Order: sequence, then structure tokens, then C-alpha cells
Amino acid sequence: MHTNRQSPNPEDLKPAQHVLDQVVDYQGNFLDLLQAHSIQLQFGRNNFDGANTVSLTRLSGLGSAATMVNPSEQPLTEGTTVVAVRYQDGIMVAGDRRATAGNVVMHDRADKVLEIDEYSVMAIAGAPAVAYEMARTLEHSFQYFRRSQLQELSIEGKIRMVSRLIRDNMSLALQGIGGVIPIFALFDRSYLADSSASTSAGRIFFYDVLGAQFETVDFATSGSGSVWIRGVLHYLDRWSDTPLAQMDLSQATNTILRLLDTAAEFDAATSGANVKSEIYPIIKTITQEGVQGLPVEQIRQTYQNAVLSRTMA
Amino acid sequence: MLDEHYRYLEAIQNRRDYIEDQIQAGSPVVGLVYNDGILILTVTSGQKIYEVYNDLALSAIGHTADVERLRLLVTDAASVQGFQSSVDDVTLHRLTHFVLCPPIKQSFESIFNSPTIAKILMAELGHPHQLVAVNYDGTTRTSQKAEVIGGTDTVERTMRNYMGQTDIRLGDELTLKQAFELALLTWAVGRTASSATEYGFTLDPDRGESDQTSEAEDFSTDELIGFVRAELEERLVEASILQISKRSKSKFRRLTADEVEDMMPLDSDKAQNNK
Repeated sequence: MHTNRQSPNPEDLKPAQHVLDQVVDYQGNFLDLLQAHSIQLQFGRNNFDGANTVSLTRLSGLGSAATMVNPSEQPLTEGTTVVAVRYQDGIMVAGDRRATAGNVVMHDRADKVLEIDEYSVMAIAGAPAVAYEMARTLEHSFQYFRRSQLQELSIEGKIRMVSRLIRDNMSLALQGIGGVIPIFALFDRSYLADSSASTSAGRIFFYDVLGAQFETVDFATSGSGSVWIRGVLHYLDRWSDTPLAQMDLSQATNTILRLLDTAAEFDAATSGANVKSEIYPIIKTITQEGVQGLPVEQIRQTYQNAVLSRTMA
Repeated sequence: MLDEHYRYLEAIQNRRDYIEDQIQAGSPVVGLVYNDGILILTVTSGQKIYEVYNDLALSAIGHTADVERLRLLVTDAASVQGFQSSVDDVTLHRLTHFVLCPPIKQSFESIFNSPTIAKILMAELGHPHQLVAVNYDGTTRTSQKAEVIGGTDTVERTMRNYMGQTDIRLGDELTLKQAFELALLTWAVGRTASSATEYGFTLDPDRGESDQTSEAEDFSTDELIGFVRAELEERLVEASILQISKRSKSKFRRLTADEVEDMMPLDSDKAQNNK
């Protein structure tokens, strides 16, 4: 028996919007993509409810983790020493290995020189949990931009992204528990040499705890130990036989190990080399070949010759 | 329209015919495992092979806008997943089964909405390597050695037959040069087969429709090289690899024009002269 039904109106049968219609182009902005997926970054942003589990272990030698910090005080530079120096082949970046909470050594093999992509490196001073998360986010952001936009993020874009992440961290930084003061070093492969001596393919960017960025030409140093070696760097650069930018790999390695040793001499939160346990500073270079870590054996050798004795000039 | 059941089936069949018609002239893509990873090759005037993640690549055939949407979908999903959990949690299996196939199938079956006109080929470095072809209706084919996508079933079958009948053993014993040559010739076979379809070659009446292949699979190497050379007057070989030995975390790399030039197969005359 044939039931006389009216044909359903095709409009009523249209299925709900399907997934493919909701694909949005974020123009390569990874932070917007995360936000759209309701993923909150683990630092900064509106996390005053204490749910943010930023570790209170910090690369700081100043005050214990449990101390209430007066929010109106500017957070002092965090304990540690990291230094970046422009040399002949590119940039050399080094950092000591100690992480402290007050007067307690939490970790003696911390890696504070983090490779972000093939040609860029971030050296960190400040809260390690925040800094590692920042480095991880940066790494993913650069990759995401390249994969979705089919071209590498420009130098300007990368610098600005670092700035943005630090600024997003402001709330924690002002509370004095999560500040990060990084040095960002990169090698600009598209750089074309011109006659001006002050520019080069290797570029170093220095940030303050609120995200302002400064480009330095020859060197940068950060952390509580940095005050002791900033003057030395300036002196060497201006009046030593070889200006920093003209040093070769071995001269640069000598200089940087001596600088870190100097910082360790005067700053309790900066560790020198621990020869007995074979723990030396981490040294990485960024050159035409990309980011490379100096092998421990080479660092040990240089330390013996340039720091423990005076055989090397 | 849907008050009679068979109308739905008719609508689906029409949809298939429409998509096949739109996709048939597309340039085929060949994916091959070799001793240092996976090679993906096609001939195009733009870019068709994309990096999705550290060990993942994607290529496609079809309407550019649809391919672009799918590519963004997969890339976004991989990036978010890799950030939230870890890089190792981004796998081809998850991306194809949970991210790519459901929307594609949904799009295919939503007969009142516009279709997604694309076939996808994805490759993953791993233990073992994997190549997955996703059809416009959401079905998949997987291989650990070689996979192809082409404009029609005939084109794909012809390419697979051609690869099967060569002396070369597929898999991770191939050198890059061997893989490149095989991939390029397989592409040529597929492209010739689709041209034949365009011009309406006669179907073999003794074979069922699903067994149709093109006589292109019987072309000689020299004929195929000649065909490739003609095509390369207007377009370029796009060959990208997922390279195990690459130093950086991301293993994807597009071969340079020089590398492509070095690996182009010579026809037998040139090969003789070079000896």
C-alpha cells in the first residue's frame, strides 16, 4: 500500500556543518591555533588561582622559593651565567650547569643553552620550568609557521615571537616567581655581506623580563653572574689583541671558558667546571652549518689548557 | 528525493562520477621506500608535496582549494597533538584514521553539500615505513614499500602493474637514484594512461571494468623517457624525501634542481654514449 507522503524538504535534510568547513587559516600563528583548541600555555596569562604548577625550583641564588616576594619590587636578575659572543664563524653561546633554589643545589647538569631550530638558540636565565616551556613553544611555533605557510618565518617574526612569549609571562614575572630573561641568538642565512662592519649574519638579541628586545652587536650576557663578566667582555672587545668578532673557534672557546670561570669565582649561584665529575659548561655554536654542540672532550681539553693553566694565549 | 531508497544510491553514484570526472586529469603522485627513507615524486608547475610533521609528508591530486583545506586540517592536528603530548605521539595512523578519513567520508556522503575533490597520499618514516593513500570517499590503502595516487582507478592499476613487472625489488634496498628513476617512469606510465583516458582509448571488451588497464604499462623505457622530456618542457619534477640520515629533527627535504638533474634517467642512446 502506497502512503502518500510529502517529499522531505531538502533544506531540512542538510547535515550540520561538517569539519572541513570549519578549517581556519591561522596564518601560521601557532599561539592562535592553540587558543582555538582551548590550550592554555603553562605560564603567564590569567593564572592567579594557583592552579598553574610552575615549579619553584629556579635558576636563582636569591632568596628561598618559599619567601613571599613583594610584587612591587623589580625581580633581580636570576642566578646563573649565560653568555653569547659573536666570533669569526658565527655565534658562540655558553651557560653554566647549576640550578639552585635558595642555597640548595637542585641540579648540577642543567642545560641552559637550548636549540630552538637549526639556526637559532636560546640561552636562559630565570625560572627553568617557564624557560623550558617557552623554548618548547617557540620551537613548535617556528616549525608550524614553516609547515603551514610553506616558507620559513622571518628573523623579525621570530624575534617578535620571543618577545610576545616573555610579555605573556608578565604576571608571573611581576610576582617574582617566574621571570625569564633569555638571550636569543640566530644565524641569518639570507644575510648578504656588505661593507659595514657592524652587521653580520650572526645576530644576538637580549630581552628584559617584561619582553623588551634589544639587539646587541658583539656580545650579551645574562644572569646573576653576568655583572662580573660584562665589564670584562667590553674590555676584551675594545682593547685586547683580537676583538671578539675576529676570534676563531679555539680563541672563542678559551675566552668563554675563562669568562664563566670568572663569574663562578664571584657568584655563588654559578657553578664552575666540576672536573672530578666531568661536568663542564655547555657550549654551542651557530654557523653556516647550523647549531652544533662542542663535544665534552674538546671542552675538557680547552679547560685544562686555557683555564687551569696558561698554555693558551 | 530521498523518499525512495535507491535514489540515495543513485545520488552517491552520481557523486562518484562527478568527482572522478573532476579528478581524472590530475598529475599522478608516486611514493617509494628506499634505503635512506621515503621518496615522493610528481611533475607539476607549483608545489604538491608538503611537510606535515618531522617524519610525515603529504601529497595530493585534485582541486587545489580542497587539498589546501585537508592539508591545513592535518598539519594543524599534528602540530597541536605534538605540542600537547609529544612529538612521538604524532603518527600516521592517528592522522589518517581520526583526522583525515572521517571528514572526507562525511563530505563524500553529504550529498547536498559540495564534495571534497581530492585524493591524498601520506608517508611516514618509522619502523616500518608507511605509505597511505586516502581516496575521496574516505577509504584507504596502505603499503610499506610503494603507493600511488592517480586520476582514475585505471591509472592507479596501470602504475601498480608497471612497478610490479620491473626487475627492481621494491623496498629499502633501493638507492635514491634507483627509486627516483622508477618513480619517474611510473609517473610517466600513469600520466600516459590518463591521457589515453582523456582521448578515450578503446576498452578491452574481454576484461571486466575493474580489470581495465592501459597499454601504457607495456611502453618501453625509452618511450617513457621521451614522454617525460616532452612534459618537462612545461613543468618540473617535484621530488621530496623523508631522509633518515638528515641531521635536523624534521626529516623532510625537497630535492634541489641539481640533484634532480643528476638523477634523470638517460635513454639507451645517451647511456651508450656515456660509456
